[in-house]
Amino acid sequence: MKEWYDKIEKADSVDALEEIRIAVFGKKGVLAAQFAKMKDVPNEQKGAFAKELNAHKQNLMNEFTAKKIVLQTQALQEAMKAEAIDVSMYSAKSTAGALHPVMETMDRIVEYFSSMNFSVKTGQIVEDDFHNFEALNLPKYHPARDMQDTFYFKDEMLLRTHTSPVQIRTMLESKPPIRMIAPGAVFRRDYDLTHTPMFHQIEGLLVDEEGKVSFANLKFILEDFLKYMFGDVDVRFRPSFFPFTEPSAEVDISCVFCKGEGCRVCSHTGWLEVLGCGIVDPNVFEAVKYKNVSGYAFGLGVERFAMLIHQIGDLRSLFEGDIKLLEQFQ
Amino acid sequence: MIVTRSWLDEWIDLSGISTEDIAKTFNSIGLEVDRVHEYRVPQKIVFGRVLECEKHPDADKLNVCKVDVGSAIRQIVCGAANVRAGLDVVVATVGAVMPSGLAIKPVKLRGVESDGMICSAGEIGLPDLGKGIMELDASIGKYEIGQEVSENAVLNDDLIEIELTANRGDCLSIRGVARDLSAAFDRPIKEYVVTDNDEKRGVGRILSLTHEKSLGVNLRYKALDLKELSLPMVVSLRLAQIEEKRESDIESLLYYVTHSTGVVLRAYERDFFTSKDESVAKLVLNEDAKGYACIFTPKKEVASVIGVNQNDASKVKHDNTTICLEASYIPPDIISKKMADNKIDADVMFYRTSRGSEPELEGGLSYCIDLIESCSSSTTYGGSIEHVYEFKEKIVKVTKQEIDEIIGANIDKSVVTKILKNLGFDTSKSSTDVFVVHVPQFRHDIVNKQDIVEEIVRMVGIDNIPSKPFVLEEANRLEDNYFEYKKRSLYRHKAAQSGFFESVHFVFDEKKVLQKYGFETTKEELELLNPIVQTLDTLRPTLLTGLLKAASMNVKNGYARVALFEIGSVFTPLRDESLKASFLMSGERENESLANGGRPAAVDFAYFTQKIADVVGDVELKEFQTQHTLSHTYQSAQVLQNGEVLGELFRVHPEVEKEYGLGTTFLCELDFSKLKHELKTAKPASKYQASFRDLSLLMPKDMAYEKIKNVIEASEIPNLIRFYPVDKYTDEALGENMSLSIRFVLQSDEKTLEEEDITNVMDKILEELNKELGIGLR
Repeated sequence: MKEWYDKIEKADSVDALEEIRIAVFGKKGVLAAQFAKMKDVPNEQKGAFAKELNAHKQNLMNEFTAKKIVLQTQALQEAMKAEAIDVSMYSAKSTAGALHPVMETMDRIVEYFSSMNFSVKTGQIVEDDFHNFEALNLPKYHPARDMQDTFYFKDEMLLRTHTSPVQIRTMLESKPPIRMIAPGAVFRRDYDLTHTPMFHQIEGLLVDEEGKVSFANLKFILEDFLKYMFGDVDVRFRPSFFPFTEPSAEVDISCVFCKGEGCRVCSHTGWLEVLGCGIVDPNVFEAVKYKNVSGYAFGLGVERFAMLIHQIGDLRSLFEGDIKLLEQFQ
Repeated sequence: MIVTRSWLDEWIDLSGISTEDIAKTFNSIGLEVDRVHEYRVPQKIVFGRVLECEKHPDADKLNVCKVDVGSAIRQIVCGAANVRAGLDVVVATVGAVMPSGLAIKPVKLRGVESDGMICSAGEIGLPDLGKGIMELDASIGKYEIGQEVSENAVLNDDLIEIELTANRGDCLSIRGVARDLSAAFDRPIKEYVVTDNDEKRGVGRILSLTHEKSLGVNLRYKALDLKELSLPMVVSLRLAQIEEKRESDIESLLYYVTHSTGVVLRAYERDFFTSKDESVAKLVLNEDAKGYACIFTPKKEVASVIGVNQNDASKVKHDNTTICLEASYIPPDIISKKMADNKIDADVMFYRTSRGSEPELEGGLSYCIDLIESCSSSTTYGGSIEHVYEFKEKIVKVTKQEIDEIIGANIDKSVVTKILKNLGFDTSKSSTDVFVVHVPQFRHDIVNKQDIVEEIVRMVGIDNIPSKPFVLEEANRLEDNYFEYKKRSLYRHKAAQSGFFESVHFVFDEKKVLQKYGFETTKEELELLNPIVQTLDTLRPTLLTGLLKAASMNVKNGYARVALFEIGSVFTPLRDESLKASFLMSGERENESLANGGRPAAVDFAYFTQKIADVVGDVELKEFQTQHTLSHTYQSAQVLQNGEVLGELFRVHPEVEKEYGLGTTFLCELDFSKLKHELKTAKPASKYQASFRDLSLLMPKDMAYEKIKNVIEASEIPNLIRFYPVDKYTDEALGENMSLSIRFVLQSDEKTLEEEDITNVMDKILEELNKELGIGLR
C-alpha cells in the first residue's frame, strides 16, 4: 500500500490524480483487490485485517482529497495566469457628457432658494416696456435706463434686460405673500471681453405685510446664500442705487482667489461684487397696485457666479459649446 | 467722478484721516471707489527759479539756464520751448531718480555742462500737461525755492475715482462729495466766501435779462471785462487729473469751477447780444419751438438751450473782451423728460443737468469770479442779474417706527437727526414721533420715506445692521414652473449621462443663413431693431444651427468625437417662444482605445437613435421630409413616442456637412413640451418564460419596414410582446429583393408557451404578411 501514498504525493496534475483514484478506489482497484482477499483470511484475523485495510482506505482518501484541492487550486491559478492582462493599459477616459457650468450653477442656486421655500417662476424673453421698465420705476426719461442698453424690436417690444419683469408679472397675477425667484436668460447690447449680449440672471422677491420685511431679513438670507455658494467667505454690503429698490445695496464677498489679500481678479481690492439687492421701492408696489406691503428683492448674474466658482477666465467661451471647457465638468 | 484729496480739502477739513480710510468710507456710504492713485514726486526734486536763460551755442533747440535751487545756483541745459528767465520751475537735482527710472547725473550736452533737469509734469509722474516744463504759480500753495516738491500737497495728491450711481447728481462735484463726507465723518463743510464789491460799476449798465413768462429755471448773470487771463497751474493740473480738456482757457476755467462746485456755468461774448445802436446787451429768456427754455438775442438767435447746449457763435473767443457769465439750474426730471420726448444735440453739461446740478447759483458764480480775478487783470461789474423761479419745497414725513421696520434694527433718534442735519436736511419741524424732513433742493433723488431711510442706512453702515431671519408661514410653493424646471434638469442630466455635452448659445442667429437653409424667421415687422452684429440679427427658430457651429469649432480644435445638446428657447415667425431639446453627434462613437484597436466605429443612424432613446425613452421613427434643407434627403425621420410626434431626427445633408467641415453628422430636434415628466406605473409582469423566434422575410428592397410593422400591429396577435429587425441581407442572387430577419418575442401571462402555440403565432404572422403585402419567408 505504501507506494500509493507516494504516488498520490507525487501526482502532478488533476488528471494523473484521477488515474490514481481509479487505480486505488475503482472497482478493479487495489483496495477492492485487498478486500477480495478477505475471504482467504482466517476468521480470527479477519477483524484485524479489515481494520487495517479500512484505516488505509480512510487515510488514502484523506490524502487524495487534500492533494486534489492542492492540484485544483494550482490548475486554476495557472489558468488565471494565462489570462493575465496589463491593467495599466486600461486607464479610461470618461465618455459621459457634462452639464454646462452656467446651467449647473443655476441649478445650485435654484436648489438653495427652493429649499428656503421660494417658488420658481420663469416668464418670457420678449417683453414690453411696461413690465421691463415702467413698472420697475424706470420711466422713459430715467437716467438709469442708460445702464441697460436694450435690444428693441420694430414693434416696440424688447428683449428683457433683467428677470425683474417676471416679478412684476407674478405680482400682477397673484396676491401677497410672495416668495419667489426668477431664473432665466437676459439681454443687453454689449459685446466685449466681459460682456455678452445674452447672459443669465436669478432674481428673488419677497413680499409680505407692511412692516414685516426689513433690510435685516435681506441681509440674513443673502449672507447665508453666499456662504452656501462660495464656502467660508466674508460678506460686505455697500449702499448703492437701483431704481426698483430703496434702500439699495451691492453685496461683495471676500475674493475667493486671494482670500482678500488683493489680486488681479479683485482689482487688488480684496472684494468681489456679486449681488445687487434692496427693499422694494414703493413705486414698484404702486405699479402693481399693492397696498400696505413691504418686501425685498435681489438679483445676481449666473455667469459671474459660475466663473468665480469654477475659475473660468473667458466669458465668451461659455457660449461656444467648446468641449475643451465642457469636458472638464464630466 | 474723480476727486483728489487736496481738492476735497478746499471744502472739508480731512486732516488726520488717511486716504485709505476716505476710500473705505466712500464705499460704505454708497460712493463706490473704482480706483485710487497716489501721485508721489521722488526725493531730490526741488522748487527752483530760472535766473538766466540763454541759447545754447551749438544747439538751436537747447537753452542754457542758471537756476536757483535754494542751496546753490546750477547751470542746467533745457530743451523746453517755454523755458525763460523768471520762471518758477520743478528741478530734478543730481542724485534724483525719476519715476521713469532715469537717474539724474551731471552731464555735458553738446559741450555744455548740465547739473540737473528742469521737469515737465509728465516727467515727475503727473499727467502730461503738454506745454513743456511746468510753469509754477501761487495756485499750488506756498512753496520756497529749494524746498522738496514732495512736500507740496497739490503736486503729491491722492486721486480717488468714484463710480456714481445715476441718482446722485449732487455728488457730481467736489463740494457735493465733500458734503457726503461731512455727514460720514461728522465734520462741517466749508462755506463759500462771497465777495461783491458795491463800488464797482453795476452790471445793469451793460446787461439786461427779460422774459415773457416765468419758466421753471434759475439763472444768474455777472459780467466782466476779461483781460490777460492765464490759467493757474492748479487748474491745468487738476483738469488733467480728471481727464478733461477744454477748447479755451476760459472754458477750462469754467469747467474747473463746475467740477468743483457743481454749478453749471457758461460764458458768452457780450457782443453776441448787442445790436449796433445799443450799449446794453439784452438777453431774452423764452421757450423755443420744441418747448426748451433758451436764452435768445434780441434778434431771436439762440445763445444756449438751458442745461443742454450752447451756440458756438456765442462762446468767448478772445482773451480781452467783455463777457457774461451765466450760472443756471433746471430740475433734472424736467430736462430729462424733455430730452426723452424730443431729443436734441447736447454738450457735456447735459450729463450734469440731467442728473441734477447744484442749485445754489450765487456761490458757484462768485467762486468763479474770484478765480478769474485771481489769475487775470479783469474787472468785474458789481452785482448780478437773476431769474428766480420758486420751486416747491419737498417735505417728507417718516416715523421712527417706520425707519426701524424698514431697516430691521433700532436706530437712535439722535443718530437719525444728526445724519440728516449733516446731509443738509432740515428736521427742525419734527415732533416727538415724526421726523418732518425738509429736503434740500440739491437732493433731487429724495422723494419718499424710503429715500430718507436709505440715507440713514448708508450713514449707519449696512454692516452695522444685525442680520435677522425672516419668519414665514409654511406654504407649499412647488408649482408648475418648478416642475418644468425639474423636468429640464432631469433631461439635461440624462443627456449628459448619455454622452452629450451641454452647450448654451445666444438666442440670436443670422437671418440670411437661416433663410438659406429654409427656416422661417421672425416676421419683418417684428424683427430686431438694433442687432449687435449682423451675424446675430434675428431670433433663432431652431437650436440646430448653433449646434452645427459649435461642432464645427470643436472639430477644428481636433475633437474626433463631438456630442452636444442644448435645451433652449426658440421663436416662431410671430415671436412665440417655446423650448426645444436638440442633439448633435458627429465623428467617432467612443475614445480610441485597446477595445477598438484605436479605430472606434463612426456614429451611424442606429447608434445616434439609440442615444436619443437613452435620453428621452423609447422612440419610433417614421419616414419624413424636414421643412429645412439641413437634412439628408434619404436619412431623415420623424420621432414619435406612444404615437405622439416629438420632433425630427436626421443625418445632416452632405453639402451642409462639407460647409461646416464635419464628417458624418446627425441631428435631432425635439419639442421639449412633448417630453414626458410623469410618475411611471408598473404593469404586472408575466411569470412565464418568453420565447424568441426569427423570421427571415424576402421582400422588395424599397418596401418600408413601417408597412410590415403596421400589418403585424394591426393583426393584434396574441402573446406577441415585441418584434424588431435584427438583420438585413442583400446579394446579387436576391436581385431587387432583400432578406430581412425580424425577431419576435412571445410570452403569455398564463403559461409557458408550447411549440405548437408558437408555431401558430408565427404562421398567423406569415399569413397576414402574405395577404397584406405579398411577402413571405425567404
